[in-house]
Amino acid sequence: MQGDASDTVLVVGAGPAGLSAAASIAAAGFRPVVVEKEDVLGGAPILSGYAKLVPSGEWAKDAIGRMVARVEQDASTTVFKGTKVTGFEGEPGDFTATLSNGEHVKAGAAILATGFTHFDSINKPEWGFGTYEDVLTTTQMEQMVAGGKIFCPSDGRVPERVAILLCVGSRDRQIGREWCSKICCTVSTNLAMEIKELSPTTDVFIYYMDIRTFGLYEDKFYWKSQEEFKTKFVKARIAEVTTSGDGRLLVKGEDTLVKRPIVIPFDIVVHAIGMDPNEDNPEISKVFGVGLEKHGFIDRAEFYTSTCGTTRRGVFAAGSCYAPETIDDSISQGHAAAARAIAELHALARKKAG
Amino acid sequence: MANYAEMQQIFDDIRSDFRYDHELNGCLNCGVCTATCPSAHFYDYSPREIVQLLWTENVEQIYDAMQEKIWACAQCMTCAARCPFKNSPGGLVAIMREVAIARGLQSAKDVLRPFGRVMLKLITTGNQLSPDMIQPDHFPDWGPNIQKVEGDLKVLRKAIPVKTLQTVDTAWEVSLKTSVEMYTIWEMTGVLKSLEMMDENLFDVIEDFIDEKKEDYEDWLEEQDED
Repeated sequence: MQGDASDTVLVVGAGPAGLSAAASIAAAGFRPVVVEKEDVLGGAPILSGYAKLVPSGEWAKDAIGRMVARVEQDASTTVFKGTKVTGFEGEPGDFTATLSNGEHVKAGAAILATGFTHFDSINKPEWGFGTYEDVLTTTQMEQMVAGGKIFCPSDGRVPERVAILLCVGSRDRQIGREWCSKICCTVSTNLAMEIKELSPTTDVFIYYMDIRTFGLYEDKFYWKSQEEFKTKFVKARIAEVTTSGDGRLLVKGEDTLVKRPIVIPFDIVVHAIGMDPNEDNPEISKVFGVGLEKHGFIDRAEFYTSTCGTTRRGVFAAGSCYAPETIDDSISQGHAAAARAIAELHALARKKAG
Repeated sequence: MANYAEMQQIFDDIRSDFRYDHELNGCLNCGVCTATCPSAHFYDYSPREIVQLLWTENVEQIYDAMQEKIWACAQCMTCAARCPFKNSPGGLVAIMREVAIARGLQSAKDVLRPFGRVMLKLITTGNQLSPDMIQPDHFPDWGPNIQKVEGDLKVLRKAIPVKTLQTVDTAWEVSLKTSVEMYTIWEMTGVLKSLEMMDENLFDVIEDFIDEKKEDYEDWLEEQDED
């Protein structure tokens, strides 16, 4: 048996939200027990090999790497990798978690930082992913940028024109994804600038329904990508991606100015894939006894006075398990959830002491 | 040309259709419907424009679109399959067409007149197209495949191992009972009423034909009773 319920908080997931939660719990003098199902810490930015992060411009492996090191080097923190929580019994102040490695952990509270799953572009077959080698996802394009060279996977040539399609797996009732994934607009403008920086002869076009580079990202990303990097923005949702005889990709859209359909050649088409609820959420919901909201993300408690709550008392949540979320806001939520968990343990201790 | 009140009335007819709210949820103006529309490639027609006109309640432009544009739609419904908001531009066009017909718009009569021959064939035989109508010169889109229907049609059709398909002046043989059932459906669903509104002469011809067929059917039923 690991842990002492009076000062231990179980943190499930070690992405940006989980890592920040664990750091705050430790800094406050409590004991975090971090359970991560993958064999490495860092979550999606590390597992998917993201390039430079928004808005810091720092490489993901450096920025998230620091968060990982902070948790791994902390003496009061216990980390289980390649491990899942398979059972969770008890009540606030006295929970017992069963792990897939057979161990049991006692904890006073738990924080779910279980994240999201990238949308699988195979579910939009008309956009050519899986059919044409030069149709990629933003994740794959980030990896290409991290590798330092922009080229067509089919034959290695430098692309003259790259199209980024927004809202792939977002804002689409046809495939049951009615949410905006929040990050893809800014990530795509950032990606367009990175492509242009590495490959100055490549022109980047972004096809959009709306541009949602919220807050300070308007001028720092959306405007900058046009003013300094000449990214072209076209208001059109693409009907289909096909191929021409010479191996280039053909993108079929509407020229909304003249209300006519047009077909435009490209060398690479990038899907700006959205954020699905974690594919493990049905299991997470069952193990932790927490509800899911209608899209399948973790359901929030009343927010104004029970921030970072779930439908079960003593179980908190943070980051993209709630809804599509940015890395920065996931980190903030991790700290907020840690504060809630610590406050809960304090309240229980005071009550016990009378 | 209708006055504003008449155009408003036409729009009210459209939006009071029971399907209207189901086919139109709003519009993100993404244009995927127009991008994917086969008719938009060939005609001055944009499903996004139709949706926008209805959503913004532009009664004058709606009236204008009903004169010609809405008849360019092939009702393939690819727009409905692609719309991220699950609108059905093609379904809205169907409603607009029905209103144009119910209101007896001259433009609808003009657009539909060439289809009178098809309508007559359909109602008198239960078939839109028959093998003997297929003239190679009229089907360039078939390409070399057209060779397959040249030659002795009667012999070719005999090779089909389904007796009701071994016909030349109809695509398949429709029994009297089936025909009468179809007439009943067209009567009850208002198809014949629409036809009367669009082309009174054709309606008279078809009505006489239907009456005759119904009498034949009654006679046939009586014969069965006697046996």
